[in-house]
Amino acid sequence: MFSVLFEKELKSIFLSPKFVATFGVCSLLILLSVFVGIQEYKNEVDQYNTAVQLSEQQMMGESSWWGIENVVFRKPSVMQVFVSGVNNDIGRSAEISTWVEPKLENSNYSSDTLFAVFRFVDLTFIFQVVLSLFAILFTYDAINGERERGTLKLALSNAVPRAQYVLAKFAGSWVGLTVPLIIPLLVAMLMVMIFGIPMDGGDWARVLTLIGSSILYFTFFIAFGLLVSAFTKRSAVSFLVLLVAWVCLVLIVPRAATMTAGQIAPVTSVAELESQKDRFRTDRWRAYGMQRSKLWEERRTAMEGMTEQERNDYMAANRQAWDEEEATARDATMDEMNEHSRKLDEELRNEKMAQEKLAFTLSRFSPASAYKLTAMNLADTGTSLKNEYEDAMKDYRTTFTQFVETKREEDRRANRGRRGPGSNANDDEPLDLAELPRFDAPKQTYKEAVEPTIIDLGILSVFSVLAFAGAFLSFIRYDVR
Amino acid sequence: MESKNQPMLQAIDLSKRYEDGHLALDNLNLTVETGQVYAMLGGNGAGKTTAINLFLNFIEPTTGQAVVDGIVTHEEPLKAKERIAYVSENVMLYPNFTALQNVDFFVKLGGKTKYTKEDYRKVLLRVGLQEEAHDRRLKGFSKGMRQKCGIAIAILKDAKAILLDEPTSGLDPKAAFEFIHLLNTLREEGKAILMSTHDIFRAKEVADIVGIMNLGKLVMQRTKDELVGEDLEKLYVEFMAGYMDEVA
Repeated sequence: MFSVLFEKELKSIFLSPKFVATFGVCSLLILLSVFVGIQEYKNEVDQYNTAVQLSEQQMMGESSWWGIENVVFRKPSVMQVFVSGVNNDIGRSAEISTWVEPKLENSNYSSDTLFAVFRFVDLTFIFQVVLSLFAILFTYDAINGERERGTLKLALSNAVPRAQYVLAKFAGSWVGLTVPLIIPLLVAMLMVMIFGIPMDGGDWARVLTLIGSSILYFTFFIAFGLLVSAFTKRSAVSFLVLLVAWVCLVLIVPRAATMTAGQIAPVTSVAELESQKDRFRTDRWRAYGMQRSKLWEERRTAMEGMTEQERNDYMAANRQAWDEEEATARDATMDEMNEHSRKLDEELRNEKMAQEKLAFTLSRFSPASAYKLTAMNLADTGTSLKNEYEDAMKDYRTTFTQFVETKREEDRRANRGRRGPGSNANDDEPLDLAELPRFDAPKQTYKEAVEPTIIDLGILSVFSVLAFAGAFLSFIRYDVR
Repeated sequence: MESKNQPMLQAIDLSKRYEDGHLALDNLNLTVETGQVYAMLGGNGAGKTTAINLFLNFIEPTTGQAVVDGIVTHEEPLKAKERIAYVSENVMLYPNFTALQNVDFFVKLGGKTKYTKEDYRKVLLRVGLQEEAHDRRLKGFSKGMRQKCGIAIAILKDAKAILLDEPTSGLDPKAAFEFIHLLNTLREEGKAILMSTHDIFRAKEVADIVGIMNLGKLVMQRTKDELVGEDLEKLYVEFMAGYMDEVA
């Protein structure tokens, strides 16, 4: 019985004109998005290689370790072919210097604002928006449409268990709509291989997991369509309900969650942060100035009654100690200010992380968010990408500055007595960068990428099971008349 | 072939009151034996379709039982449905499927999997559907053509009982005549047929028993023999009016 119903469901889908249209559109979109993704990736790799070479040439052009500045670049990831995530929003390069903390700047969207308006259509977008809509389009009248047509009554006038009927509906719709998607996806994978995108085993595993997650997300909408269809008597009503639910789940809940998180866990603004830093700096410098004034007052008191000669001698005798004392006090003040800045930055980062965590938790009420987070985590193009890179760049900055300091010290020793510190031993010779530590782009292993997705995949599975269970229970009691 | 005089369809004190309080069927008692055609006459809202829905277990009775071949439908609905074939007033099939594909699907749902395409064609021809229509999609089919497909499905299911809800509605006179001929054949084969209809002329022509229903009640029941020499139309009007007066 199940096979008869299942076969009919498949036949119904394949013979329907809307299947031909939607399958054509989906195939085209999937292939186009992967093709564009491949081209974008290749362009970015070219830009990356050129930028790295230019940066090295610039460093090689330097004749002194004193003036050296390094710029490191974010390496394009092969996974951005499928999931662009925040890849285009965050910076592509950061300056590595002794004085400033590295910050990613110069994002794709900051240089191409037009693309920021319309965003990049990647595989995630196609599944999240287009295919979820198509799933609704195919299932909104799965049950009530049969009732309206009168075919449900005729079917159930036979000894057909309702459980089998609804299961076959679900399985038939699932197979009929999912399996054809595998074809353009396989062609897309073939394109990736033909265009020579350097995917390793881990990357392929991620892509397969991504496809699995996409199908799971799609499954939810099939089950949800079935649920609403089994819950309402008229297909026009179920279509409207599903459309409203889709708008809420895909468009509103994720944005509302972000806005709610912004209200519940506000983050200090950059202006406020800078103002706090500035206020602290002003206070500290004032305190430092007052301390110095007081000290000089004491010194002047100590020198009272001295002749000018005695005063000069006294000052000359204490000059070095006073200079050292001054330097120590200044360094302590600077350290205090730096520490305060670091703490504020750390607090800001913690605030941001708390807000992000809350926003993600709230947004997970939407399967679309759970799916998007899964995809971004798998592709490592999520919000953590910026922190990952900036942390790696900070580590690199420590290694880099240590290396440069050593080189400067060597120069200082070689030039001592000849010229002032800061001159290279051989001014005309380019610097030997062979030993210069290189920046290693952070890369997650498959396990690291999959671990954070477990919650979201679990949520998607629970949503799908609940939707199907709801459809099942509704249909068992469905009035077929 | 079933032996005659064996009760196949029975309504025993069958009543249905909906949640809104409306009494759609009031204590219906009727029996259709094998090789018998029972015609339920009545206006809209008389309870004919409710009775059929109860036999199909599309709704549960408030009191009483609908029994098919000794099986109480609301207790063992799947077993009961194995013994029933059903043709609705307006047979609706899948418009993207051909007539043969539709027949194949619904006959298989009815548990008959051994038929060949040729068997389907023979029955479709028997019910009067032209051969050129067998492989056509149902999109352009008239109501009568769909009705013929529905009857073919019911015949192929080879059930002991057949429930027909307004089967001649929408059929042209020729098709209606052929249909009556077909019913006679099915009766000869021993099928128990319960038919709801507005068509007094056809009811008198084919039915072994005629029942008149009004406001959920069976207000009159006569056998073919009892109707000899009677004007069924007059009886129908009288009983309907009489019962209405009684209710008033």
